[in-house]
Amino acid sequence: MSPTGFKAIFIRSVLQIVRRPIYWAAFFILPLFCFLFLTNLMEDGLPSKVPAAMVDKDGSSLSRSITQNLNGMQMVDLVENCNSFTDARHLMQEGKVFGYFLIPENFEADLMAGRKPVITFYTNMTYFVPASLLFKTFKTTALYTKAGVAMTVFESVGADPNQVATMLMPVNINARGINNPGLNYAIYLCNSFLPCTLQLMILLVTCFSLGQEIKYGTSVRLMQMARGSIVRALFAKLLPQTCIWMVIAIFMESWLFNINGFPMHGSWLWITLSELMFVLACQGLALFFFGVFPNLRLSLSISALTGILSFSIAAFSFPVESMYPAIGIFSWILPIRYNFLIYIDQALNGIHIYYSRIWFVAYIVFMVIPFTMLWKIKRSMLRPVYAP
Amino acid sequence: MWNKIKTYPRQLFDVYCREFRLVTHDLGIILFFIFLPLAYPIIYSLIYNPEVVRDVKMVVVDHDRTPLSRELARNIDACQEAWVIGYAADLNEARHAMNSHKCYAILEIPEGFGKKIGRGEQANAAMYCEMSLLLRYRGFLVASTNVAQEMGAEILAEKINLTAPLAGTIVEGDLLPVVNVSMGNIENGFDSFIMPGVLILILHQCIVLAAGMAGGAKRERPSVTGYNGRNMQPSVLMTMLGQMLCYITILILPIIYLVHYVPLMFSFPMDGNIFEILMFLVPMVIACMGLGFCFQGIVWERESVFVLWVVTSVVFLFLSGLTWPRYAMAPFWKGLSACIPATWGVEGFIRMNTNGASLSQVHSDYVNLWILAAVYLVLAYCVQRWLVRPAILKGYNAYASLRTD
Repeated sequence: MSPTGFKAIFIRSVLQIVRRPIYWAAFFILPLFCFLFLTNLMEDGLPSKVPAAMVDKDGSSLSRSITQNLNGMQMVDLVENCNSFTDARHLMQEGKVFGYFLIPENFEADLMAGRKPVITFYTNMTYFVPASLLFKTFKTTALYTKAGVAMTVFESVGADPNQVATMLMPVNINARGINNPGLNYAIYLCNSFLPCTLQLMILLVTCFSLGQEIKYGTSVRLMQMARGSIVRALFAKLLPQTCIWMVIAIFMESWLFNINGFPMHGSWLWITLSELMFVLACQGLALFFFGVFPNLRLSLSISALTGILSFSIAAFSFPVESMYPAIGIFSWILPIRYNFLIYIDQALNGIHIYYSRIWFVAYIVFMVIPFTMLWKIKRSMLRPVYAP
Repeated sequence: MWNKIKTYPRQLFDVYCREFRLVTHDLGIILFFIFLPLAYPIIYSLIYNPEVVRDVKMVVVDHDRTPLSRELARNIDACQEAWVIGYAADLNEARHAMNSHKCYAILEIPEGFGKKIGRGEQANAAMYCEMSLLLRYRGFLVASTNVAQEMGAEILAEKINLTAPLAGTIVEGDLLPVVNVSMGNIENGFDSFIMPGVLILILHQCIVLAAGMAGGAKRERPSVTGYNGRNMQPSVLMTMLGQMLCYITILILPIIYLVHYVPLMFSFPMDGNIFEILMFLVPMVIACMGLGFCFQGIVWERESVFVLWVVTSVVFLFLSGLTWPRYAMAPFWKGLSACIPATWGVEGFIRMNTNGASLSQVHSDYVNLWILAAVYLVLAYCVQRWLVRPAILKGYNAYASLRTD
């Protein structure tokens, strides 16, 4: 009689992980690669030097000085001087520039004569981030030009130079981004995408490891070792995975806030607690999926669908309140949503834990729901059927 | 030699039929080929379909309480981006509202705001934005800039006559109008920005996942291939060709649906010529299949594909340069992204579909795709010849040898 009980299953589970390379990939190689990839890719915070083109149809000293000003801006790189709108548009279609700035013919003469020439700039909004940066730079340059011209005009008609400056901008609203003043894209993306990758892998691996037992009929043996107790079987089976995931989650936390130095304005205690509960919540959700579909492929499909859709539906970029309510409601059934909200409150904004209390409760709900499905998991473990 | 070549058409036909049977009898592969391209784009598009972020909540702390300060709050509330849900007595109360997630920005109007405008000085106000989502911040920034400029222009028009009556004749209205035109995604919508690229990624992943799962199925049940080590097996080349033809047959409708009907349903920009787009996608589909056949080398059982491949979608999305442009990537990541068919597929497709480029304008992407297709097919041949085929012939189930019981 081979050994039974909690310890025996635990050792068996550890051996399974050690012996199969797919687990090494799923536990370590893939998540750690994603962590490294996402943070390293966006190391600079913002993609500066957006390639752009200049269409100067005027060729006057004023238009040339606009070109020079534009070229001096940090965010733009004028790679080409085009002769016509069509040339510039072709460059954009070929992907060489992300936008262009057009100065019309007789610009300087028209401006001085008060005939109101129009400056137009075109940004390729197909690429959101570089185009937004380009938009900002183009707009600033155009406004500076305008201000310069206006100052000349006002002074020429005898206005007080000190007053002109305030006249150009009588009302000024300073928009200040709290805790991310530099609009660092990495801060806002890595802190949500890294845990979301972790959630995806936890869902997949949990369903995979349980489904394997059913697929190869070893679940019967597992239940014997657990002396018929499904709770003991599942706990002992999943505990080694929980330990590994928790280590990875803590590593992720330290990778984000220590090594990469992303804003961490709150208490380490709460963030650590959140990461640990997040691991358990993800495992709970995976177990629930497995209970609903005790079939390797179906549970993996659901996990993959949920895991990948989480990147969008958990609202890391597009807010929930702007989604259709019927879609937005799904964001609340994902552990990552609560991880994200706790991160915002406790790390980014560093506010009192009181404001985040409900989200810790949500984690607990995820840990409890699989218990409603234990009877079904037990049934399929005892009578394993593999449906391809 | 000639005798061998003579049997190729027959082999091709056999493999084609066999693969068709295999795919149609395997619910998992059908799911990847049909459900993934059909349902996934709809779910995904629906998430972002509202396109723009409207009416984000904010509160106002007005220390000034003059008609001008109230006008400022009213004007901001009137912008489509912002929604003033109420006034707070002081910053503490406003912060409490923000911490309780009731609002995402605080507009603080200092005392003396109205007076300063009356005196012809610059009047400042501060907008504190919560930075969890950049789209919200962007909306507040646009709203506050527009309101400041418009109110400024109104005040300026009143002031000009007082300060320098002559100037009014010169600068009536806007001295130098500045116009911005958004190209491609003309409404600056989020869905129209991300979905065309995601459609190509979906196609890419569905091919690789399906090919991977088919490989796993053959390793697990070598009987489905019909080889037993004694009978004549179709050559590796013909097997690959037969599989590719089979997959292309199955994929034709999903591809047309993905690149034509999904954008049509959700009113994404559609500026390209559908036939040129389909032409463009041919090398991408071939390259994806090559990648899938290489992937079969490490897939020992059907379901491993989920664990090993699904997470790559996230990596490929970023490598494609859709969100983080390729020119700003470090050389290593740039090089890696060049090896992924989806990178060139996404880049070419969005430029054709959204910016209305012709096939000749995306020729560099097109050529890169053909190079990738060739490289992956050669690699795939090696993998199939020396890794997958021997494994199938041996009837070797990797997991069986690793069982612990």
